[in-house]
Amino acid sequence: MKTVVGRIFRRSDSEENKREIEEELRFHLELLTLEHLQPDVSFAEAKGAALKRFGNIELIKDQCLEISRKSHPLMPAVKFFLILIFLVGVLVRVNSTDRDVIHIGNLLIAVPILCRLLLYVRGLNPSCFFSEHKTSTPLMLNETAQPSFTIYDHRKLTPVERLISEK
Amino acid sequence: MVNARTDLMQGTLELLILKTLSRDSMHGYGIAQRIRQAADDLLKIEDGSLYPALYRMEARGLITSDWGASENNRRAKFYKLTRAGRKQLDAECVNWERVSQAITRILQTA
Repeated sequence: MKTVVGRIFRRSDSEENKREIEEELRFHLELLTLEHLQPDVSFAEAKGAALKRFGNIELIKDQCLEISRKSHPLMPAVKFFLILIFLVGVLVRVNSTDRDVIHIGNLLIAVPILCRLLLYVRGLNPSCFFSEHKTSTPLMLNETAQPSFTIYDHRKLTPVERLISEK
Repeated sequence: MVNARTDLMQGTLELLILKTLSRDSMHGYGIAQRIRQAADDLLKIEDGSLYPALYRMEARGLITSDWGASENNRRAKFYKLTRAGRKQLDAECVNWERVSQAITRILQTA
């Protein structure tokens, strides 16, 4: 309960949330840059290599913000409330014959639809349309790397077998 | 020419994160490093893509996060496994074993 309340208050400020995400990503990028920094590598080159390994930072930031916004503890309540208004609107629209009441019904139907549309449009990530480097495959096999263990080759003799065959 | 499919099964990254966090709490960079080291560089991770996965997992209650001080005394966000996350890890491990056994069996017999 304490955690949920804490999350409500902590996430109520979206600017604060955005700043925290930026700080977290910046921290990672700085450590990656340090990792790439060698005596023969300039800071700019190290930063470039770090950015390449990190992926599209703007897209990642937007994705994190979006997930964070959608997972807000109040979001299910907002959705439930919108559905409730919509259903009341439908009921009013169906059951009434008075023109003014029908208008209110229409309004009650339209408001949740528009709100839901607004939430959806806000959720659209514009950087996914403009970005060249999408983060679509977060985990891949590294084809250039060689396994440190050796695979047993039936055609080759083990040291013990070699000793026996030499005798 | 063989066209090798190199992107791994969906959910694998999540399983690796859960396993990495099962020992102790870590920040994002630490998680990426640990996975890379444990996989002996055979797996390529786009570091940034860890974060959407971490945020999704936090939203599902599998992990929690708290700000703390890193090894070099910098402010960093540390992630740790929740009880639900530990349960999920056990379930995912069992599932992974079953799937890998099934695929190995098919490759050996078919």
